[in-house]
Amino acid sequence: MDAIIQLIHVSKWHDRRAALSDVTFEIEKGEFVLLMGASGAGKSTLLRMLIAEEQPDEGQIFVHGKNVTKLRASEIPYLRRKVGAVFQDFRLLPKKSVFDNVALPLIVQGASEKDIRRKVTEALRAVDVDHKNDQLPNGLSTGEQQRVCIARSIVNGPVVLLADEPTGNLDPERTREIIELFKLINARGTTVVVATHDPHVLKYVNRRVITLVQGVLVAERRVGEGVGG
Amino acid sequence: MRRLFYLVREAWVNMRTNRTTTIVAILTTAFALACVGIFLLLYVNLRNAAGSLQEDVKVMVYLEDRLPSEPVRELERTLKTDRMVDGVLFISKEQALGEFRVQFPSESHLLEGLGENPLPASFVVTLAPSFRSPDAMKAWVERVQTMEGVAKVDYNQEWSSLLARLIGYIELAAIGVGILLSAAAVTIIGNTTRLALLARQEEIEILRSIGATRTFIRIPYFLEGAVLGACGSALSLGILKFAFELFRQQIQLTGRFSGIEGMISFFPLSVCLALVMVGMGLGFAGSVVSLLRVGDGRA
Repeated sequence: MDAIIQLIHVSKWHDRRAALSDVTFEIEKGEFVLLMGASGAGKSTLLRMLIAEEQPDEGQIFVHGKNVTKLRASEIPYLRRKVGAVFQDFRLLPKKSVFDNVALPLIVQGASEKDIRRKVTEALRAVDVDHKNDQLPNGLSTGEQQRVCIARSIVNGPVVLLADEPTGNLDPERTREIIELFKLINARGTTVVVATHDPHVLKYVNRRVITLVQGVLVAERRVGEGVGG
Repeated sequence: MRRLFYLVREAWVNMRTNRTTTIVAILTTAFALACVGIFLLLYVNLRNAAGSLQEDVKVMVYLEDRLPSEPVRELERTLKTDRMVDGVLFISKEQALGEFRVQFPSESHLLEGLGENPLPASFVVTLAPSFRSPDAMKAWVERVQTMEGVAKVDYNQEWSSLLARLIGYIELAAIGVGILLSAAAVTIIGNTTRLALLARQEEIEILRSIGATRTFIRIPYFLEGAVLGACGSALSLGILKFAFELFRQQIQLTGRFSGIEGMISFFPLSVCLALVMVGMGLGFAGSVVSLLRVGDGRA
């Protein structure tokens, strides 16, 4: 299989403290990977590096065949269009409707009006918030806001979907729903990487788990569906 | 199309969200540009006035008293064949006296007591347009003054060189004030853009994370700057026009400087449009300055 994400001896320091230390792994195309670790383990740093929001101090990172560490500033937006990102704080524009928030990546790319309408409707339907089209994000529950955020991240058909603590603000039931949604997106062919510190997430997935401890990759394993941490 | 609509709408939303800042920026820009406009208006009108004065420049060549008719005709021929001369008109002693009586009826009795007509005959010479500069006129006058039968040559040299000097000073002042206040306008609009930028930092981060290019992020702010500059400039022209009409009305009412109100004029429409474009350019420049370090694609 082809590696869609590849980290080779990646290290990163924040104020002399190692956020990531000599991390090497590959993620194959179509995989669903959980990136586990406590707060400060380096999960967010790693995800930020995958969309070139941060650069490693050492090592190489390849995403979808591109060496992220060598991208020119003008190439970065085009990488981010192939890599969808879901954040714990949702990062929705409060003064724009649900529809407009989800349409944003397509507007940025210059999609036609017809395409925007069709793809946004599909994405909202996929995350089951198509009935909240015209509402503002603040009028939605946290679970719904996270779904809108996911719809925005998949609307332009990214090859990879990164989620940083996507269930951090959700109760166990909503957590399960969101993880099921990621599994559905993954089943359609998108590579999904979910970073979480929440061991309960493991209950809902039977996938590969990469564990980081203080910036060091300590384990790679698979967990059984329905089996606890 | 949707992208264009989005960018224009974002610029509009920026301005509406920061309404007070936008209004203050337009007003201060308008004030700064109105100050520049005053000098520009003064400069343009003085240039026009100087142009019409130069067109009207006549040189008086006074002849020696009792000069026989033959040398007078000879002098007239010489003047008419001079390449620097456009027209020559002979004024006899009698015509000069007649004109004096018409122009100064209350003072005409002064000449009665003298018995003989004291006014000399003269030629009124109009110089060719290309020889109406102060230097060319001075050289021509010096040459004619040495001609036989010429008593004196008179022209408003001081007035025309004074006007030329004054125009020079105003031109310098207009350039100086223009540069200074244009820089002020750029700074004002730049600061407004920066405030809008700070207020929308989170939104910019979101746009970056979903793959918006630097240009896409910047365009609404460029548009905003250009619109602020254009509005400021248009408002400054409105203020100037109002002040100009008030000034013209005052001149008419007081009755002083009669005739001036017909000589002065406001900027023509083409210049007004050009000034609005300049304002737009200054606003755009202000936004560019404040956005130089924004949206480089990396966190």
